[in-house]
Amino acid sequence: MSSLLQNIKSYIKGDLFIWALVALLALFSFMPVYSASTNLVYVAGNGTTIGILIKHAVLLLMGFTIMFFIHRTPYRYFSGVSVVMIPIVIVLLIVTLAQGTTIGGANAARWIRIPIIGVGFQTSTLAGLVIMVYTARYLAKRKDDIIDFKESLLRLWTPIALVLMFILPANFSTTAIVFMMVLMLCFVGGYPIKYLAGIIGAGIVILLLFVLTAKAFPGLMPNRVDTWMSRIESFSDDDSKEGYQVENAKIAIATGGLTGKGPGKSVQKNFLPQSSSDFIFAIIVEEYGLFGAGLVLLVYFVLTFRLYVAAKKAGTVFGKLLIVGVGFPIVFQAVINMMVATNLGPVTGQTLPLISSGGTSIWMTCLAVGMVLSVTASANVTEEQLATESEDPLEKLYHTEEIEEA
Amino acid sequence: MSTTEKSIVDKLGWLVLVLAVLFVVLIVRVGFIQSVEGEYYRKISVQRTIKTDTIFANRGNIYATGGNLLATTMSKYTVRLDMVTIENKVFEENINALSDSLSVLFKKPSSYYRNYLRTGKRRRNRYLFLARDLGYIDYARLKTFPILKLGQYRGGLITEQRNVRARPLGNLAVRTVGYSDYRGNVGVEGAYINYLKEHHGWRQKQRIAKGQWKPINDKNEKEPQDGSDVITTIDVNIQDVVHAALLEQLETFEADHGCAMVMETKTGEIRAIVNLGKYPNGNYFEKRNYAIYEAQEPGSTFKLASLLVGLEDKKVDTGDVVDTEKGVMKVYGRSIIDSHRGGYGKISLARAIEVSSNVGIAKMVMESYKSNPQQFVDGINKLGFGEKIGVPIKGEGQPFIPNPKYVKRGDPNSWNGLSLAWMAWGYGVKVTPLQLLTFYNAIANDGVMVKPRFIKELRNQGEVEKVFESEVLNDKIASEETINKLQEILKNVVIRGTGEKLYSPSFSMAGKTGTCQTEYWTGNTQYVSSFTGFFPAENPKYTCVVVVNKPNKHKGYYGATVAAPVFKAIAQKIYASSLQEKEVTLDLPKLASLESDYQEYQKENLDLKSKMPDVRGMALMDAVSVLENKGLLVDVQGGLEYVKKQSITKGVDIKRGQQVVLY
Repeated sequence: MSSLLQNIKSYIKGDLFIWALVALLALFSFMPVYSASTNLVYVAGNGTTIGILIKHAVLLLMGFTIMFFIHRTPYRYFSGVSVVMIPIVIVLLIVTLAQGTTIGGANAARWIRIPIIGVGFQTSTLAGLVIMVYTARYLAKRKDDIIDFKESLLRLWTPIALVLMFILPANFSTTAIVFMMVLMLCFVGGYPIKYLAGIIGAGIVILLLFVLTAKAFPGLMPNRVDTWMSRIESFSDDDSKEGYQVENAKIAIATGGLTGKGPGKSVQKNFLPQSSSDFIFAIIVEEYGLFGAGLVLLVYFVLTFRLYVAAKKAGTVFGKLLIVGVGFPIVFQAVINMMVATNLGPVTGQTLPLISSGGTSIWMTCLAVGMVLSVTASANVTEEQLATESEDPLEKLYHTEEIEEA
Repeated sequence: MSTTEKSIVDKLGWLVLVLAVLFVVLIVRVGFIQSVEGEYYRKISVQRTIKTDTIFANRGNIYATGGNLLATTMSKYTVRLDMVTIENKVFEENINALSDSLSVLFKKPSSYYRNYLRTGKRRRNRYLFLARDLGYIDYARLKTFPILKLGQYRGGLITEQRNVRARPLGNLAVRTVGYSDYRGNVGVEGAYINYLKEHHGWRQKQRIAKGQWKPINDKNEKEPQDGSDVITTIDVNIQDVVHAALLEQLETFEADHGCAMVMETKTGEIRAIVNLGKYPNGNYFEKRNYAIYEAQEPGSTFKLASLLVGLEDKKVDTGDVVDTEKGVMKVYGRSIIDSHRGGYGKISLARAIEVSSNVGIAKMVMESYKSNPQQFVDGINKLGFGEKIGVPIKGEGQPFIPNPKYVKRGDPNSWNGLSLAWMAWGYGVKVTPLQLLTFYNAIANDGVMVKPRFIKELRNQGEVEKVFESEVLNDKIASEETINKLQEILKNVVIRGTGEKLYSPSFSMAGKTGTCQTEYWTGNTQYVSSFTGFFPAENPKYTCVVVVNKPNKHKGYYGATVAAPVFKAIAQKIYASSLQEKEVTLDLPKLASLESDYQEYQKENLDLKSKMPDVRGMALMDAVSVLENKGLLVDVQGGLEYVKKQSITKGVDIKRGQQVVLY
């Protein structure tokens, strides 16, 4: 038995604490997901509860597989891959948007169907991750230089802006969050704050332009401007459709009490749309009470702390920024999700990482955690090694481009 | 720029701090929602997701003694149409078909409905009346009509359902069956409402989605409890006979109202109670429960009680001769006059009753009790005349017997010099028909006075819940000798007295006529004709009272002319049908044997083993069915009702297609 454990341990690298926390959250996730599934099955009439449980297990298994392979990959490779991925995700986002217009319906523009498996995939989540790695790469590369604003506009902000532009029409909240996370990463990564102010200004201007265009020419492109408006309005007004969600979430929280109603005993899961994803935190409070919610928060906080420790231990600037860029957004997303459920912010479509059901969310979180683990697995790699070992073909491709330009 | 590892870690520290603050904010926020806003949200949670469902129970039914339903609860449907909901196209295509269908159901011309519907449609009437209080069968049929079958949202069908108390037998004993609702508690239903009453159950349900509710607990919070069924003593056949006989006589004599009751002598069970009052249009309906409430001067029928008291007090004997003189007797300046002009001369007391001599009885009582009227009044009161019988049905009339101790000038209830003499022949007292019936029944029942009963038993779900036993009010109202004498007199009334018109050589009856003046104080004297008696005269089975109030005096008013024929019709019809009575009535307990037959049949039928069953003793039809279900070819020898023998011994293995002979 112990030899088996030893055996497994020999394959698992990196911060075991993070491994444990992620596994804990994943295991816990079965309970609220299973509980919420009754809503889908008996009310919406989709599938069976066991089917939903198995699906969740399979998605988690796939996620952990991704995580495992990613964490065994030296993190220096991510740097180059992010560059290649930028044009790919732009194409994917365009495809997603285009598909959305043909299918019709408000949410359709966020998803593409993965061929063969037939599972929906939210491209914007992958795009966000790519941008974060790309930003970390840029900041790490410029760590010793004085950043030229114009140069950064071209090399950093233009790709980011391109990607975000294609997320925006279908998904404002993801766009805003990714943008905020990029700003957060830039701040930590030493990007001059005075420039950041300008970038924020530019971002707001672009957003306003988009909104005005959408309002002026409603049929021009698929967009959800009206939904955003109503959501933001409804944050201060309880009578709308979103007010209904928030009110039900509050009922869930209020009726949960200190220790909750017990696993599976949620009533509000039947009235909260997205009770297994967007509003799962409310269901957790309802079933497990203030204590249960406190424990979940504690796990996330310990994860935050371990990410901090991992960043501190990482031997290179890229390693540190990678952890900040892909690790911390997980926690931020959790906070945003919980703020929505507790009516501290307007309704967004953000899931609770590692707990909510949903393939994209699980896989992308696992991908991010995998990258963090990869950094922790090779904490002893130094800048020098990173520089010398940067021999991946993508890096060379990138350099040849520069040469050709010159 | 020069980003050092330290600068990253420092800035990251701030980030961790920000996140830590956010976590604290979140947990505080959850606590805030739970505590400060908690009460509000918990309240609306209950409002929105918990509801109490009423599970309706049924009020008990009222049955006649033979199992006929007298009162039950039925759903009635009132149907209206929302003409705006019906699309014009649908309306135009179907209006003819719908009008035709309605015309068939409601027996009005099709063109009437076409006009009616068109007008309603043109005026955009959203509540167009179609039919009121339809029974379920008609309603179900109505729902299949064109347009209406499209339902509420496309056909504009508006249905209002209400539960009403229905009486399948119409007006039969309707006053006695009664009701219990906003109008009050009347009759048997009113008297036994505590048993009949349904208790609705309830269960808590939790909403799981729009329009979907699940029960919270696996048991109902409160189980619904149907009211008990009340089995009355009313016999529908007898009731029908009495109703018809009384009605005919009331119509013939244009009487104001009348009542008749038939009581089973031994048990006191009221087999029939009919109360008919004339409505302004000349028709008679069950108007009030005269039999129970109407306390009035009984007249001659009361003479029997006077004689009983005299006999019991050994003051007189039936053979004593009383001088009725010329049929007139003066008491304190007032005259008592016999209806037979010129009087009867010297006759025996028994004969005085037979011919109903007012003078004879008054004289007897005056002579016997003038010195001690209290003794006479006590004797009358001992017979129960002074107090209500105490039947559970509300509205029993207050009887009145004057009291010699109560003397007050100007009070009509006061004892006076005339009281004793007038009381003797049934004036100055008030009794109800029910009291008279009870008294005469006691005579018929050899002195045992049983309480009149309307209720036999209570049942719930077919189980007997409570049986009401006969109640004896007075186990001996008089000595056997006295009773025998009185029975003899009553028989003679029919044979050679005032009731001789009743006499029938084939069927013996006994009773006493009563012709009582009423409203003599108005100057326009009216009469109350009555007859109280029992039949057959030997071993009486039923006691019966008939009272007809205010017949048209020009057509007749004597008890013998007006009331007695009703009694005779009743007695003869009951007597004539009593032989076949057992076959006619469907008594509930008889079903038990039927049930056991059926169960035996089912047991054998379900027994699928291919062994020969024992069908001996089974009804032939059942046996054949059982055996054929097992695949046997059955041959029946002789026309028998029950199987006596079977050609294959029981328990023997059988094959499909095998022959079996039943003897």
